[in-house]
Amino acid sequence: MHVLMMSLYAAMAAVVLATVDPKSDTTRQRVLHGFKIFGSFLGIGLLLSWILFPIPW
Amino acid sequence: MQPRDTLTENIPPHFSDRSLPLDEPRPFPLARRAAAVVAAWLVPGAGHLILGRSGRALLFFVTIVGAFVLGLRLNGHLYWPTVADPQSFFHYDLITVLWSFAEIGSGLCYIVSNALGLGTGPIPQAAASPTFEYGNTFMFLAGLLNYLVIFDAFDISAGRKR
Repeated sequence: MHVLMMSLYAAMAAVVLATVDPKSDTTRQRVLHGFKIFGSFLGIGLLLSWILFPIPW
Repeated sequence: MQPRDTLTENIPPHFSDRSLPLDEPRPFPLARRAAAVVAAWLVPGAGHLILGRSGRALLFFVTIVGAFVLGLRLNGHLYWPTVADPQSFFHYDLITVLWSFAEIGSGLCYIVSNALGLGTGPIPQAAASPTFEYGNTFMFLAGLLNYLVIFDAFDISAGRKR
């Protein structure tokens, strides 16, 4: 459930952030930028959860 | 005085006396700019529709309204600033001010949901739902992303981007 919600959140944020990106001029650049944002959200989320998992509080 | 042909024949081909090339973005009239910004707040994507960016408008509408509706379905709460208890330097409970600001960004989604009484139940009951925090997060996301979309509509209308 949590990973699904995180993925949905990352996808929605990536779509909007990539579309409003002023540095991307073409659709291809926006799509690539969107995938980078999506991957960053998921990757950093998983990394943080892995680091925080052993902490008991 | 030289004949005109001898004056212009040596001008390089990239030279143009137009202040802006034809493919450069141009500012929209003030009334349309204002309408785009207000519409962008009220309905996600409507500002881009007014500016002729229908593809982006549809994408923003589906994503932002989708995030807000998903948040409501997951038992998210519609926040409004509450008075701090006990009294503090800042009269209102600061976190509820920030959450309200985030959610109000989604415009009519927030207003209509409030009018229909969706997501306005007592917080202790709503918080009992296991998806309460997920719901809130999606509703904050919807509002905050719409603020970005409003700025994007403003930039396009001001001729700062395509």
